[in-house]
Amino acid sequence: MPGLFATLDLGARSLQTQQQGVEIAGQNLANASNTAYSRQRLVIQASTPLQTSIGSVGTGANAVAITQLRDTLLDQQIQGETSVTGFLQAQQTALQYAEAGAGEQLQGTGTSGDVGSTGGLASDLSSLFSSFQDLSTAPSSIASRQAVISQAQQLTTQFNQVDQRLTSINSQLNQSVQAGVESANQLLSDIAGLNHQIAGAEAGAGAANDLRDLRQQKVEALAQLVNVQFSTDSNGEANLSLGGQLLVSGGTVQDTLQTYDAGGGQLLVRTAGAGTSLTLTGGSIAGTIDARDGALQSLHDGLNTLATQLISQVNNAYRSGYDLKGNTGADFFTGTNASDIGVNAALVHDPSLLQASGVAGAAGNNRVVLALAQMANTAQAGLGNQTFSQSYNGTITGLGTALASVNTQLDNQQSVETMLQTQRSSVSGVSIDEEMTNLVMFQRAFQASAHVVSIVDQMLGIVVTLGQ
Amino acid sequence: MRIAFNTFPDSVKSQLATLIAQQNRLQNQVATGKRISQLDDDPAAMRQVLDLQTQDSQIAQYRKNIASLQTQATSSYNAMSGLQTISARAGEIATRADGTRSPQELSNYATEINQLIQQGVQLMNSTGQSGHLFGGTQTSQPPFVATTDADGNVTGVTYQGNESVPTAEIAAGAPVAVQVPGANTTGSGPAGLITDSRSGADFFNHLIALQKHLRAGDTASISSSDTPALKKDEDNITSQLADNSLVQSHLSAADSLASTQSLSVKKAVSQESDADLAQTLTQLSATQTAYLAALQSGAKLLSQSQSLLNYIT
Repeated sequence: MPGLFATLDLGARSLQTQQQGVEIAGQNLANASNTAYSRQRLVIQASTPLQTSIGSVGTGANAVAITQLRDTLLDQQIQGETSVTGFLQAQQTALQYAEAGAGEQLQGTGTSGDVGSTGGLASDLSSLFSSFQDLSTAPSSIASRQAVISQAQQLTTQFNQVDQRLTSINSQLNQSVQAGVESANQLLSDIAGLNHQIAGAEAGAGAANDLRDLRQQKVEALAQLVNVQFSTDSNGEANLSLGGQLLVSGGTVQDTLQTYDAGGGQLLVRTAGAGTSLTLTGGSIAGTIDARDGALQSLHDGLNTLATQLISQVNNAYRSGYDLKGNTGADFFTGTNASDIGVNAALVHDPSLLQASGVAGAAGNNRVVLALAQMANTAQAGLGNQTFSQSYNGTITGLGTALASVNTQLDNQQSVETMLQTQRSSVSGVSIDEEMTNLVMFQRAFQASAHVVSIVDQMLGIVVTLGQ
Repeated sequence: MRIAFNTFPDSVKSQLATLIAQQNRLQNQVATGKRISQLDDDPAAMRQVLDLQTQDSQIAQYRKNIASLQTQATSSYNAMSGLQTISARAGEIATRADGTRSPQELSNYATEINQLIQQGVQLMNSTGQSGHLFGGTQTSQPPFVATTDADGNVTGVTYQGNESVPTAEIAAGAPVAVQVPGANTTGSGPAGLITDSRSGADFFNHLIALQKHLRAGDTASISSSDTPALKKDEDNITSQLADNSLVQSHLSAADSLASTQSLSVKKAVSQESDADLAQTLTQLSATQTAYLAALQSGAKLLSQSQSLLNYIT
């Protein structure tokens, strides 16, 4: 028989156990809005029974552990999908910047027959060739010449502005890569620190649940940036690796990330210590790099090629022409690509210098300006046998296609991620009703245990006064 | 499935965000009348629209070219009609200048011919928006210069233009010339209006010769030489007038065709890019209804959130 003192001890331990239960319920309720929190449960086990002559007698219950309700598989899935979402979101952002920078959109009032202007290079290209056509009907007209020069200036200014915007976006994306790497390194340090704290806290007994929650949150934040692989080794230590390179092992940061110039100012990522170049396949840093070096580079290259061909072809035809004063041999466009294409400054000041005629001294001859006008429908070998407009339209809608594809992928991806988050929430999320029920349960059990203590105390009082 | 505390608010937030995005997109379509406005709305349709806009821009310019050429052709026609009148009068004088006329009458005819030459030169130096009409591509100076003697009689008319004429496109790969050179003695290219080696026309020189024969009273030369020569000139002018009329008809037909093409292109653009307003408004109405319903139900549930807390005393 355990005795009154043993029963008193049983009651006291029970009070502690129920109190712990109340504390855990309180902890869960306090973190009900914390999306990174996994609900905890007190594991109560019956104490070792006492063997007596009449059989095994229970000695109460003890709280043996506080467990997290967490699905590791879901965590891994979410970590992976977070990397994919980060990748697509970064791509979408970069491509949206480029779409805005290109300035090509359909404007219109929707009235019947309204073709709608686009306000970008497409309409400026058309306008230039239209002005050449106009001049071909009156090659000596100063007004028509001024219109050609004005349209050409409009076009070259638009080229310069779009090029400047794309260059600026490229620079911003490089800064974004740099910032992403710095954030990733900070997170690596944080995770290593948490690994160390968890190891220390779990060295005695029990799991450091809150620290594990925080670590998982950091890992997912890191996964948003780069597609890290999270694993635990045989010692239970958490390791992080990226592209086969070990970055964090237990409480130690083995290596960090670093940006480097791959050429032309384009930043890529490598390990700082080993200097190993990393081919990132997930996360926002990879998404930014992919958009920068993919669709944005294609757009920029396409515009530069277009500008270069325009300068070359127009000048080749133009040089053989004669102006109203009999001069020949000058260029119409200056510069070499989209960044510096311009109109010959001499023309801006004196339209009579525009070399429209094919014969010296024949102001009514329009051979050269007609040839320039006909370029609008001439397939250019340097543009893959497309006309100038076809080449531009193809380049710009390539950007649209890339962005539309990313939008669709991101919508689908966000649906997947939402589903996984909902599933995780159903496993790990706090339900107020559940916790309130548990709270009431532990409260009543505490009351009951206190009653036991009170009764035993009365009994002890009786026993003590027995001999008096 | 177990529903946690955050599940419902997260779900409401997500649904409202989706509905707001849909509303924004549909409202934009209604306001602009365009189904597509950005590159990523429908890239394939956007490419079609850009190509069609390029085509429409070209058609519009061709129509402007046609209008400009029509103006030039009309100006040329008016000048050539005046020249035809001069030619007819000169032919009439040549016919009347026979042996029955007195020296005074012949002298009067000579004076009139002199005036007709000067009128002709003035007509042939007419200008349009692109400079002189009958100088070929030498449009910056008068194509014909008359030289006179001490008595004011025209003794020679020199052509300062050339035999080339500019062409302008009225459609892709369809160049048209409306101008006529004042003279062409090369034997190839466009026929000259005043002088043309293929038809034998040499109007001003023939008029000068007629004037000379009238002053000399040489009615035999007038009959044998000047009259048939003037007939060639008249035929040449008539032929040029007929060509001009044909060109104007051609321009008119081309403009009509371009107008039809432009309408087709606009229709194609409309089909690709315009929003079906009835359908879009219906979708917008449905989305707004769903949004309000989501707001109402979400607000009701969130504000009334009941839990055991409300029932535990």
